[in-house]
Amino acid sequence: MAEEIRAEIVGYVIEVVAAEGQVVCKGDHVIVVESMKMEIPAAVETSGTVTSLRASVGDLLNEGDLIAVVE
Amino acid sequence: MTSTSETKSSTVNKHPLPRDRLAGLLDSASIEPLHPPDDSGVVAVRGRINGAQVTAYCTDVNTRGGALGVTGCEHIVDAIETALHEDCPVIGLWHSGGAQISEGVASLDAVARVFAAMINASGRVPQLSVILGPAAGGAAYGPALTDVIIMAPAGRVFITGPGVVREVTGERIDMEGLGGPEAHSKKSGVVHVVASSEDDALWRTRKITDLLARPGEFSPDAVSEPRDLRAFLPERKRRAYDIKPLVRNILDAENTDDPFEEFQSRWAPNVVVGLGRLAGHTVGVIASNPIRKGGCLDSVAAEKAARFVRMCDSFGVPLVVLVDVPGYLPGVGQEWGGVVRRGAKLLYAFAEAVVPRVTLVVRKCYGGAYIAMNCRALAATNVFAWPDAEVAVMGARAAVGIMRRKELAEIPDDQREEVLARWIAEHEQTSGGIARALSIGVVDDVIAPEDTRSVLAKALAAVPPRRGLHGNIPL
Repeated sequence: MAEEIRAEIVGYVIEVVAAEGQVVCKGDHVIVVESMKMEIPAAVETSGTVTSLRASVGDLLNEGDLIAVVE
Repeated sequence: MTSTSETKSSTVNKHPLPRDRLAGLLDSASIEPLHPPDDSGVVAVRGRINGAQVTAYCTDVNTRGGALGVTGCEHIVDAIETALHEDCPVIGLWHSGGAQISEGVASLDAVARVFAAMINASGRVPQLSVILGPAAGGAAYGPALTDVIIMAPAGRVFITGPGVVREVTGERIDMEGLGGPEAHSKKSGVVHVVASSEDDALWRTRKITDLLARPGEFSPDAVSEPRDLRAFLPERKRRAYDIKPLVRNILDAENTDDPFEEFQSRWAPNVVVGLGRLAGHTVGVIASNPIRKGGCLDSVAAEKAARFVRMCDSFGVPLVVLVDVPGYLPGVGQEWGGVVRRGAKLLYAFAEAVVPRVTLVVRKCYGGAYIAMNCRALAATNVFAWPDAEVAVMGARAAVGIMRRKELAEIPDDQREEVLARWIAEHEQTSGGIARALSIGVVDDVIAPEDTRSVLAKALAAVPPRRGLHGNIPL
């Protein structure tokens, strides 16, 4: 089943850690967002392959925005 | 609701019988029925878990789909009232379609009596509910009135099933999507613990019952061995991290099992709540989790924590509060969603609680969230902080930026950073920093991270055990 990783909090993307096609394990970070003066990684909940990565450094994400899909 | 399965014969039963399910929950050979055998569709018993007395009831899905009729409801009420008289936990195993339609309004009245009994017992004895199969309508609200809900993979909880939903709203969804473990662990927050199997659900129920029914004694000397807990914080102050490894290492290690029995782990994950043992005594842990939403408090996180605080208070479970919080989550959605009304519940819950409750500021504690996370003025037993922790209205840079905005604007661009740095240092000396918090007594002591277990255990053991006299309303 595909897992959609969505932004939990509004913030700017300051780092993209994963890449499309990469195999990721539960807990791996996909991107890092800056919000509330903190650097907050977004992690995957289920292991799989990143089939889509929608975020780039500098993007402003709103809560609920799609960051990546892991299948 | 006519059914061909009214005659109970184990050879045709599709699902386990109540006696088998209860045998999986309770100590072997500890079961005493509370009533003679009948075809009510409910079995109520007295039994033991690790030697501690409990009462339990189980709906029988093999009898009329587990529908709740007048007699079955009387058995449930009897189990709850027996638990009250004998001051022990009561556990319900649920697999039921709700009120029995063939008994008409009498069954509605009977189900309402079950609810009334649960509410009467709320906060007086622990009530646990285990959802083993579909539990609809009255069988959904029953568990919702109890303290802890454990769901097996086949568990489903909803008020109206997929058929009615589709008829009324046009939405197409199956039972699992509507009210299965995924929906209730992540979206609704109805379920506290999701189990990996029916056996695991009964095992976890035994474990939580044991924590509540056999709280143990504090032995602070047993935790004097230093533990390198600071290693769980990242090098950089701005970096978010998962608080749960720290929580697990503050608690006593279990032989094979997880030392932290977390509740609602996937719902409102920016605050973490759950039970464990510290120096041998059961404690409730409330911790902000920086890796989720920065650890900010928001409406649902405040409600989750508030209900947990009130449950622990009502059963005399002392609290450990770990704080690393940048504030309340800002946003239009939060304000319109009632963060003022819903966030107030956490203030109320802490201020009302009479159990020993100790706060540890791990890294930072800002603003309204400082108050909400069991601060001194809300009558925390003690407030401790690790070295370098910040306790302030907001970060010094933000504070100076607001208080001296006009002056800053008049400073030439090339000098602004330098002046700002000086003002920040001045502000930290006069208003922020841990020194100020210590001097006015809102933080009692700065403690070495390696001594955390011992300091927390001693603080909790030093005050008389008490419990709040109130129910555990589903906030």
